[in-house]
Amino acid sequence: MAEITFSGVTKVFPGDVTAVDNLNLHVADGEFMVLVGPSGCGKTTALRMLAGLEEISSGTLSIGGRVVNHVLPKDRDVAMVFQNYALYPHMTVAQNMGFALKIRGESKAEVDRKVREAATILRLGEYLDRRPRALSGGQRQRVAMGRAIVRSPQAFLMDEPLSNLDAQLRVEMRVEIARIQRLLGVATVYVTHDQIEAMTMGDRVAVMRGGQLQQVAPPQVLYDHPANEFVAGFMGSPPMNLVRARISPSEGRVGLVVGDQRLDVPAAYGASHDLPREEGAEVVLGVRPEDIDVVGGDVTGPTLKTRVERREALGAEILVHLSVADAGTARSVAYDEDVAVARPTMLVARMAPQARVEVGDVLTVRLNEERLHFFDSTRGVTLRRECA
Amino acid sequence: MTVSTVGARAPRLTLRRRRQLAGALFALPAVALVIGLIAVPIGQAIYYSFTQWNGLTSTWIGPSTWTQAFHNPNLWTALENNAWLLLAVPFALGLPLLIAMLLHQRVIGWKIFRSIYFLPTAISWVVLGLVAERFFAFQGTLNSLIHFFGLSHVNTNMLGYESTALSALGITFVFTMIGTNTMLFLTGLATLDTSLEEAARIDGAGRWRIFRHITLPHLSRFIQLAFVMTVIALFSALFSLIFVMTGGGPGYATTTMEFLIYQTGFAQGDFGTAALYGLILFVLTAIVGIVQLRLIGSDE
Repeated sequence: MAEITFSGVTKVFPGDVTAVDNLNLHVADGEFMVLVGPSGCGKTTALRMLAGLEEISSGTLSIGGRVVNHVLPKDRDVAMVFQNYALYPHMTVAQNMGFALKIRGESKAEVDRKVREAATILRLGEYLDRRPRALSGGQRQRVAMGRAIVRSPQAFLMDEPLSNLDAQLRVEMRVEIARIQRLLGVATVYVTHDQIEAMTMGDRVAVMRGGQLQQVAPPQVLYDHPANEFVAGFMGSPPMNLVRARISPSEGRVGLVVGDQRLDVPAAYGASHDLPREEGAEVVLGVRPEDIDVVGGDVTGPTLKTRVERREALGAEILVHLSVADAGTARSVAYDEDVAVARPTMLVARMAPQARVEVGDVLTVRLNEERLHFFDSTRGVTLRRECA
Repeated sequence: MTVSTVGARAPRLTLRRRRQLAGALFALPAVALVIGLIAVPIGQAIYYSFTQWNGLTSTWIGPSTWTQAFHNPNLWTALENNAWLLLAVPFALGLPLLIAMLLHQRVIGWKIFRSIYFLPTAISWVVLGLVAERFFAFQGTLNSLIHFFGLSHVNTNMLGYESTALSALGITFVFTMIGTNTMLFLTGLATLDTSLEEAARIDGAGRWRIFRHITLPHLSRFIQLAFVMTVIALFSALFSLIFVMTGGGPGYATTTMEFLIYQTGFAQGDFGTAALYGLILFVLTAIVGIVQLRLIGSDE
């Protein structure tokens, strides 16, 4: 078992395409680190460099304190689970799982013992003599896991191992993989584009975008204190609402104007955040869908007048799409879209299924004033003092 | 919800039966062709093997052709030559496999090499035979090459001697098969999931082990197919090479079953015996094909 360190690791593909740009990341011994981000963010390239399947253009990569930049995959003592499982089709489950041990020169009895041990952990005992094609998707996935764990490697590398499974099986295997990782206590780097997997499985989550690391933190910290608009928009489903607001003078509070509505938030934000002081300066206000409540009449706290545009009933909750009345422009909330588009400021609110909300209703909503986020309107980074 | 069944009639044929019927109807033209082009000629060949036939008229003579044929030493020589030529098969598979592996590694200039290796496939075997004949001739390219490397006292004439002519034919045959088999193996390699190789690399396998445990098992189907095609070509497509290079000689040194059929039927006008030889060759080829199909089938 070992720790993993990326120090300034960069990968430039032919044609001057930078897939990973100066990645600095430390994975502690036994830690479950999730690399998450949209397609093309460099997460898989980072993992493949760790596995030794891609050359490193610059920087240093070490496993267990040993620099492995030029070490062959077979000598890195890491095990990898591939997205398509990469099971050897002509070998049985037992042969697939024991292949690495056989190559290592372990005795047949020892290979057999380890394979059976892993099969027990993975509940694969009765399938050991089957070929991969005679297995279901979930079973194949477990064999791929088995092939990794029999080796007792220094680190597990997993490249979107659940993306080929159906939704229900994915939930089951999510729990299963996390259970096995904790049981074995091996440092794990897990790549996914699914933020739910990232939130539920990782001890810490590294969010990547365009080859650059955006933030590394435990899942709840990422959710509660995103370092920038991208992380705020990427983590959470539906994502955080991000709306443009202008600073406006206010007595004893921080005054904001959203669209053409005033919104006063507690003065404490002025102390905890580097909010611009000049009147009319722009900031991006972030609010999670669950931090928006419908209120009636005169209430205290930051409120906005909105109109219900769409209502999505999900059973356990409803998502209500609200347009801020008489609004101006809003930045798109889509994480991969940088351009501000002219359209009414929209908010998505998560409400209880009992909420009597219909399309066309005009509602006053209150934002949870304890849980607001502010981002720099040009750089997108958080204005929170301790994170900025 | 209820569905009214008033007026509904039970169909005369079940859906399954109708599908079977339609399938049979669609297959009928193909079956007719197979019968007309394969079964009928085989039946005719069997019939003619019991006759004395000069190409125009046939006289029933019973099984005497059969008894005489098996006492003909030329038949055994031809069968022996066919058996010896089988030794060329491993080379006709191994060399293309090696070339395909190298091309698959994307060595520098692999596209040019690929075209060069495939070239013989696009050229008539008659032309290849002529080239080979010039290559192995006493004043041919082979001797020039040997002399170029300083061995001026060595003079070969492989096609001129009974002991070496068959080898020269075998070498030429290997050369003619390189293009097709290389392409076949390259196709096989292109269908190999690269993540399997990567998984094996991470599992600790080196180049040889990856080839032995991942690439070769993946290619087994392609190798089996290449094997069948090569053996069948060896039994039934060497005619043009032999005709151009040696004419079956010296003596009967390069006469294969296929060439013997030609000689017996067209040179000696004994179509009855030629038909019998044709049947023997057909049975031999069929055995190879069936054994291979069984091997392929047993894997499924």
